[in-house]
Amino acid sequence: MKTDYDVIVVGAGPGGSFAAKAAAKGGASVLLIDRRKELGAPVRCGEGLGSHWLEELGLKISPKAISAEISGSVLYSPNLKREVKIQNQETKGYVIDRKVFDKDLAIDAGREGAEVIVKTEVYDVMKEGGKVCGVKAYRMGDKFEATCKVLIAADGGESTVARHAGINSTASLYDTDFGVEYEMVNVECEDLIEIYFSRSAAPRGYVWVFPKGKDVANVGVGIGGLEKGNAIEYLDKFIKSHERFKTAQTVAVKGGLIPVGEPLKDLVADGLMIVGTAAHQVDPIHGGGMALAMEAGGMAGEVAAKCIQEGNVGKQHLIEYDRKWRKKVEPKLMRRLRLRKVLEKLDDDDFNSIFENLSDVDLDSLIKGDYKQVVKKVLVKRPQLLKVLSALL
Amino acid sequence: MIKINRSRCIYCGACVGVCPVLALTLKETYVEYDKEKCINCGNCAKACPMKAIDFEK
Repeated sequence: MKTDYDVIVVGAGPGGSFAAKAAAKGGASVLLIDRRKELGAPVRCGEGLGSHWLEELGLKISPKAISAEISGSVLYSPNLKREVKIQNQETKGYVIDRKVFDKDLAIDAGREGAEVIVKTEVYDVMKEGGKVCGVKAYRMGDKFEATCKVLIAADGGESTVARHAGINSTASLYDTDFGVEYEMVNVECEDLIEIYFSRSAAPRGYVWVFPKGKDVANVGVGIGGLEKGNAIEYLDKFIKSHERFKTAQTVAVKGGLIPVGEPLKDLVADGLMIVGTAAHQVDPIHGGGMALAMEAGGMAGEVAAKCIQEGNVGKQHLIEYDRKWRKKVEPKLMRRLRLRKVLEKLDDDDFNSIFENLSDVDLDSLIKGDYKQVVKKVLVKRPQLLKVLSALL
Repeated sequence: MIKINRSRCIYCGACVGVCPVLALTLKETYVEYDKEKCINCGNCAKACPMKAIDFEK
């Protein structure tokens, strides 16, 4: 087997496969490496994907990768007295089957010319004169080293590749949510993503029910890293306390960490690019990372191929990916980070009041990031929130 | 010192992501612990969504 490539991508999740495909398309020789024996498993995700992304990413989802089609979402107040349904073009989406979806994306990368190897664990990064130049791995138990001009780290929340390369991408407890979910049968559901806000049920996070069929759903909870207890305790409590899950049976357990703070300060270094959850490119409100990873992966792969063709893979050239991403994506995420930091200061009474006093349209605006009008309306009824909410104005 | 309950762990890697000294490594079906590197911060036990890690100072 070849041991020298233009681009090596570590991690064949959606971000890594997109990066590998884009780099191969740009003319680079690409090696895509994954630790697992089977891509997509174990799943660590709610599996929701907005359909607007298909066009934006040029993505085709095979029917086999779609578990359920979603028409919108429904948000519940902590006291469950108010439910807000949001159904519009932007809330349409899919709950996908990551085990099929991820593999499909790696297959796409392979078809584009990328070499793909699985069951290969990268345990260190090679450097020469400060520049990243390859990886050290165990491939099916045997030592395997390969060199490259550009290394793309797409290894998810563990983000060990970037850290081996000397970039501090360790997740902090404060800026990370920790989630666990059961895939359950005998859970009646509509074609709606259900979100339950409640500090007591899911402090600094939320409880979700993502339908995977008429009576199958991912039921999960995410909590802030500094909150009391562990996610599983909250999930078990929620399921026990709702009649709806009385006959529910668990067919899978999934979990993981969700960076919900700022994206990494540096997305590139000499010979290195970081994409997706490994770069903390995750929506700070809903914790979704798949689409953002694919978007960033595509950008990174394209820039990597271009820089290689031009013969410059230093940080000052790879930075084109960093700049492109920060221009297109980061402002929206930072806006939502501000909202997260406000929401985490509210208690359940505040949430109940907000739900009571806002119309469906108001709540939709809030989620979309139009804060001004909505905040004014909340303050009329709950002036004590002035200090907290002023951060949004 | 930590103790990972391998039969409870779902090898999601949350603990690996919050370990500041890379004392934990995610293998396919378990997490490997390097006692020598560990600085006893307890982040992993706090993070574990499954409550599969016991932490003793």
